Amino acid sequence: MTQNQRTAEKAQVAKAAAAAAPRRLTFWEQYRRKPQGVAGLLIVALYIAVAVFAPVVSKYDPMEDMYLADNIAVPIWLTKVNPRFRELPPTMQFNLGFDSWEVTAADGVEVTGWEFEDAEGISIDLPATEAPEPVEGEDGADTPPDSEDSGELFSIVSNVQWDPFGLVTSGQGTSRDEADEAVSLDFSFDYDYKKPQTFSASMGYHIDAPSDASTFIELDLVTPSGKAFDLWDTTAYGSVSNGSFIVDARDFDLKMRLGISFFDEPADVVFSERGTYTVRVKARSDSVSGPVNVRIEPVSFGVLGLAHGLLGTDHMGSDLWAQLVYGTRIALAIGLSAAFIAVFIGTSVGLIAGYLGGIVDEVLMGVVDVLLSIPTMPVLIVLGALFGKSVMNVVILLALFSWMGIARIVRSQTLSLKERTFVEAAKAAGGSSNYIMVSHILPNTMPLIFANLVLRIPSAILTEASLSFLGLGDPRVPTWGRMLQNARQFGAFTKMAWWWMLPPGIALTGLAVAFVFIGNSVNEILNPRYRERS
Amino acid sequence: MGFRSYLLKRLFYAVVVLFVILTFNYVLFRIMPGDPEKMILDPNFTPEAKMELRRQYGLDDPPLTQYLNYMKSLLTFDLGMSFSTRRLVWSELRERLPNTIVLFMVTFVGTAALGISLGVSSAANRGKFSEQLVMGAGLFAHAVPSFFIQLLLLLLFGYYWPILPIHGTISAPPPDGAWAQFLDRAWHLILPAGSNIVIGFGSWALYTRNTMLEALGQDYIVTARAKGLPRREILYHHSLRSVLPPIVTLIFMSLPGAVSGAVITESIFSWHGVGRYLLDATLQMDYPAAQGAFYLIALAVIISNLLADIAYGLVDPRIRVGAGAKR
Repeated sequence: MTQNQRTAEKAQVAKAAAAAAPRRLTFWEQYRRKPQGVAGLLIVALYIAVAVFAPVVSKYDPMEDMYLADNIAVPIWLTKVNPRFRELPPTMQFNLGFDSWEVTAADGVEVTGWEFEDAEGISIDLPATEAPEPVEGEDGADTPPDSEDSGELFSIVSNVQWDPFGLVTSGQGTSRDEADEAVSLDFSFDYDYKKPQTFSASMGYHIDAPSDASTFIELDLVTPSGKAFDLWDTTAYGSVSNGSFIVDARDFDLKMRLGISFFDEPADVVFSERGTYTVRVKARSDSVSGPVNVRIEPVSFGVLGLAHGLLGTDHMGSDLWAQLVYGTRIALAIGLSAAFIAVFIGTSVGLIAGYLGGIVDEVLMGVVDVLLSIPTMPVLIVLGALFGKSVMNVVILLALFSWMGIARIVRSQTLSLKERTFVEAAKAAGGSSNYIMVSHILPNTMPLIFANLVLRIPSAILTEASLSFLGLGDPRVPTWGRMLQNARQFGAFTKMAWWWMLPPGIALTGLAVAFVFIGNSVNEILNPRYRERS
Repeated sequence: MGFRSYLLKRLFYAVVVLFVILTFNYVLFRIMPGDPEKMILDPNFTPEAKMELRRQYGLDDPPLTQYLNYMKSLLTFDLGMSFSTRRLVWSELRERLPNTIVLFMVTFVGTAALGISLGVSSAANRGKFSEQLVMGAGLFAHAVPSFFIQLLLLLLFGYYWPILPIHGTISAPPPDGAWAQFLDRAWHLILPAGSNIVIGFGSWALYTRNTMLEALGQDYIVTARAKGLPRREILYHHSLRSVLPPIVTLIFMSLPGAVSGAVITESIFSWHGVGRYLLDATLQMDYPAAQGAFYLIALAVIISNLLADIAYGLVDPRIRVGAGAKR
């Protein structure tokens, strides 16, 4: 140390000799030479950039966007690296407007696009049935070439229908063996992954038809080997406005519908093959008195992925990368504001106690002593639970229980400052206590206060993270502590989901280390005497 | 001011802190959401029964009387009954207290031994590996969230390489025999106590190193060296002794922080202790239990602070002679 000082002095002397007018280095010139300080500043700048540009950095919202994939999905890149997770499916979500479909229509059927909100739905004009009877069999002539095939398989699947109470109107149309669809819309996608855990489909439809018309709509999923699973169908009489349905592979209804045993999962059965799957919408109508118009809103079909994004998903299917990115905002906001408030309280108390002295000093320092010997974390736990879990409360509580150290430091500095001649001079000139404290003593304690402010930030961030981790954080905001809590509570351990636990912890550590670096560097420059104590 | 008046002053402080905490506890119990009456009384009771119960619980007394009664009951460890388990809070706490104390003591001794010895050796061997280790560990202790380290250790030794128990204080059916039970408890202690030591030793080592370096630069060390005393002798008998008072103070000053850490450690490793009891009770809005646990923890901290002051007084001759108590 002395060696260093000596060399530094020598260097300075040499410099002073070289330059005509020796000049004190500015704060920034000194700071720039501290690699730790520069590194800390760069890291903090990076965090701030991430916090500010969070919507750019992350595609998803951490709280709003749920069920982006299955729960505890692994990161996508991990499926390429780790054989354990190889070929896990990503989320596939198709929103199928008019352009997506491959249309097979019988003669006289017109399929056109139809404006629906942002996308384009499908409008199907079905002509009136020419021969009123017999309906069945006659229409077979119009059957498109491929429908024989699908019709046969379709019956295989639909034979195992389970409708014990006969209450379900859907499925009525399946009794027709020779299904002769007027229209068949196909959408194909490749599926070359392991089985997913679930899939879902939903669709809205509208039918304009004479009251005696019966219209039949069906949604199938055709496997690569040609097996068709009838996910949903309906037979509507007359017009229907705003019809809609949702199929979810987790629903028990679908299990019954597909005739699978209690212990099998629809997703397992349906996605047991690899290759090109086809989503197929079929429609036909028996209408004697006039044409029928069926409008289908864009169909959504999705497979909830087991692999997702940069960091996978949490137990609710929320994007963990988004939580990590938006967590930066909360961490910075809480750390900075709690530190500012604590430093403000501590500085005020220290100034007043040090300057006024006497009984005021005794009382204030007594309060400091008492507060210092109260265990902070239990108090924060009890108060946090009591006053409600909000970011604001956490900040206030953190500040209220962390200003004591600063008060002590500022007080001791004030005690030495108030004996100086410039304070005496100000007093002699008739300056009031307030004036002297604010204009003469406070500016001289600033370096100390600033260094302590910077060093206060990481401990505020870490304490908040601990509170969140214990379940006392604000449930409405994504924080790193809460990510870790969720990870612990909702099965990251049993799944060994290290990608869920490491990032928030590393983010916390990085930010804290950066602030400690900055604080230490600032302290070394501004308060060389206090270096050992902080 | 002699040692005696110093002690009296610290004792006075301890009483004040105890008083503040008791009052804080009392106020907390008053402003908590929900009327205490509604928590205790069944709405189906007749008005007469309600009046009688109110009288029994002292709810109709003037606030001051209630406050005094409350003080008396806390000081006699009459902590009431837990809402959730319907057991006496004090008996629940008494059953958990030994676990917490064992965890605490093992952590404490381990951290102090490792931290101080590393600090001394790094001060003696400047620029060597041990100094690097101490500097790194000190920063580590400052900046890494402790619960994160504990989670990682748990993931590593409990799941990836499952060699250590992941939760609890003792195996679910406890093994037969006192010796086997002791070993089983020690087995369960490794992860919680070990992780605490890993987290904690850095700041102590750093502090010891810094104070040692300061002491090694003093004139009397130079004199001792000039006399030709062996290095070890100088290190342990001259400098370490002189830095002992600040280190002892640090040890005891770190107690409130250690208590905070205990809550987190106990909750991560499902340790059957007081800290976890406080957290669970708080989250379940089990007020009497939370209040009791908080009281017990605060009491422990006050007592340890008092012990710190006494130890400081005994170690530092300046206080015995009477150069002023305040640092």
